[in-house]
Amino acid sequence: MKLLKNNQFKPGQGLSENFVTQLSKTKKEQDWMRKQRQKAYDIFLKKSLPKWGPSLENLNFDRITYYIKATDKPVGSWNDLPKDIKDTYDKIGVPEAEKNFLAGVSAQYESEVVYESIKKELDKKGVIFCDMDTALKKHPDLVKKYFGKLVPAADNKFAALNTAVWSGGSFVYIPKGVKLKLPLQAYFRINAERFGQFERTLIIAEEDSEVHYIEGCTAPIYTTASLHAAVVEVFVHKNARVRYTTVQNWSKNIFNLVTKRAQVEENALMEWIDCNLGSAVTMKYPSVYLTGKKARGEMLSIAFASNSQHIDSGAKMIHFAPQTSSRIISKSISKDGGRTSYRGLVQIMPKAKKSATYVSCDALLIDEKSRSDTYPTMNIKTSDTKVQHEATVEKIGEEKIFYLSSRGIDKNSAEGLMVNGFIEPIIKEIPLEYSIELNRLINLEMSGSVG
Amino acid sequence: MKLINLNKTTQTNFDFDNPGDYFVYFYNLSGKYNFNIKASGINLDISGVFIGNEKNNFTLQTFQNHIAPKSKSNLLIKGVFYDQAKFNYQGMIRIEKQAQQSHAYQKNQNILISDDCVVSSKPDLEILADDVFCTHGSTTGQLDKDQLLFLQMRGLSKKQAQLCLVDGFVSEIVDKIRMYDKGYKSSLRSRA
Repeated sequence: MKLLKNNQFKPGQGLSENFVTQLSKTKKEQDWMRKQRQKAYDIFLKKSLPKWGPSLENLNFDRITYYIKATDKPVGSWNDLPKDIKDTYDKIGVPEAEKNFLAGVSAQYESEVVYESIKKELDKKGVIFCDMDTALKKHPDLVKKYFGKLVPAADNKFAALNTAVWSGGSFVYIPKGVKLKLPLQAYFRINAERFGQFERTLIIAEEDSEVHYIEGCTAPIYTTASLHAAVVEVFVHKNARVRYTTVQNWSKNIFNLVTKRAQVEENALMEWIDCNLGSAVTMKYPSVYLTGKKARGEMLSIAFASNSQHIDSGAKMIHFAPQTSSRIISKSISKDGGRTSYRGLVQIMPKAKKSATYVSCDALLIDEKSRSDTYPTMNIKTSDTKVQHEATVEKIGEEKIFYLSSRGIDKNSAEGLMVNGFIEPIIKEIPLEYSIELNRLINLEMSGSVG
Repeated sequence: MKLINLNKTTQTNFDFDNPGDYFVYFYNLSGKYNFNIKASGINLDISGVFIGNEKNNFTLQTFQNHIAPKSKSNLLIKGVFYDQAKFNYQGMIRIEKQAQQSHAYQKNQNILISDDCVVSSKPDLEILADDVFCTHGSTTGQLDKDQLLFLQMRGLSKKQAQLCLVDGFVSEIVDKIRMYDKGYKSSLRSRA
C-alpha cells in the first residue's frame, strides 16, 4: 500500500461501482482481479442481510469509508483517544510504542528490526509471508489459483463486500515439507500498514508442512471505522498442519462480520483457536471442510460479552470423506447485559463413513441482565458415525465464591479467578505472551482493575 | 402424576398453571408442541420414542418455555431408524428473565441402523436468567459393534442381536410409560 501514498484517490463514504473500479485501478491490479471485484459488487447488491442472528439494523453501508490509506490516522494524537481505551492499555501493561501504534496514533511500530531477521529466515526456507496486495503483484499465479476458491463472493453478503473492496490481509505460502517452529504473527507484518477493515487472508500449506498463524492482539484496537468484514481462506494439503489463532478485541463500536473457511485434505489437520472479546456485534463461524480421508478439524473458542455486546460465534464442520474427525469446544461468558450465542453446524455426508465428531458448549452467566443462547445443528446422512453434542449453561457457583471469600479473596477477584479457570483449557493452547495478557484482560473486565 | 399421551390428543399447546408432576409421552409423532411452564413447583417429564421404518419421515419441534421460576422440565427422545427413515428434530429450551432457579434438560439420542437414514438434530437453548441449570445433549451413532458381536457369539442371529440391543436402548422410556400408564399398548418392542 506504500505505492499509494502520493496518488489522488481520495474516496469518501459510501460504495459505488465506480469506486470498486477506481480502487482496483489505483492498486494497478490485473484484469481478472478487477473483474472479480466488479462481479462481487453486483452480488453484494443482490444479497440480503442474514435473516437470523444479531440485529444489524445500525449498520449503514452508506456511512462507511471503504478504503483508508496507510497514512490516514483515525486520531491525531494520544490525547484524542477515548479514555477507556487509554485506561485499558495502561492496565494490561502495553508498552508505550506499541500503545501508540495500536491506537492508530503512530503508523510505525518499532518491530521492523525483529521482523527483518525473521524475514531472512523465512526467505531461506521458501516461505512467502507478505500482505495480499504485494502477493497479488509478486505471485499472481499462486493467488489466482486459490483466491475465492473456498469462499466465493456469492457465499454471503459480507464475503461479496470483502471480495469487492478488499485491501491488505496476509498471504502465507508454506512449501512442501517445511515445518515452521516460530508462529507467524500478522502483528510483525502490519508494522507499515494499518489494521485493515476488509482484510483478505490466504494461507496455503503444501504437503507435509506445518504453520501456526496468529492474528490480532489482546489490547483493544481502536478504529473509527464501524465495520470489519474479513475473509480468510486456508488450504491444508495432504499431511499438513495449520493452526490459526485469533485474539480479537476490537473497540466496542465495531461490527465484526468475518467469513473463515479451511479445506483439509488427506491426513491433514486444521485447528482454529478463536478468542472474541471486543466489538459491538460479532458474527463469525470458522468452518472446516474435511475433504480428504482421515482429515481432522478442531475449533477452540472463547467468547466474552459484556455491556450490550452481542457475540454470535461458533463453528462448522463438514465431513465429506471417510474416517474424518472433528471437535468443537466453545466457552462463553456473558456479563453486564452482554449476550453470547453459539451457532454451529456439524454435517456428516453419506460418504463420510467411520467419522466422529464431538461438540461441547459451556456458557457462564455472571448476572441476571445477561443472556446466553446455543443453536447447534447436526445433520447426519450415514449410519457408520459417532456424533456427540453437549451444552451446559450455568452461573458461577456460589459455594466456590464463598470458599474463596473465606480464604480472604474478595468477591471480584474470586469471580475473575473462576472465569479464568473456566476458559483455562483453551487459554493453555495459545502462546504465553497472549495468554498472560488475556488473563489480565479478563480480570480487568471482571473487576475493573488488574491486581 | 398427571399423564398426557400426545398420540391421543390433538392439542399441541400445553399451559401448565398448577404445581405438580406431569408426564408427557409419545411414540412416532410429528408436529409442533409447546409446553408453557407458567407456575412454580412444576416437574415436567417429556419422553418420546421413535422407531422409523421404510420411508417414514418424522418432523418434530418441542418448546420448553419456562415463564415461571423454580420449575423443572426434562425431555428425553430416543430414536431408532431403519431403511430410508428420516427424522428431523428441533428442540428449544427458553428460560425467561423472571424464571430464575429453573432446571431444564433436553436429550436426543439416535441410532441409525441403515446407511440411508437421515437425521437432523437441532437442540437450541435461549437463557435469559442467570440462576438456572440447563443442559442439552445429542448423540447419533450405530449399535455397539462389540455388543452385537458378543450376542452373535452366544448364538443369536444378527437380527435377533440387533433387536435385543434396540430393545435395551428404548426400554428406559418404554418401561417408564408402562409403569405410569398400565393399559398402554404399543408395538414398540416388536420389530423383527
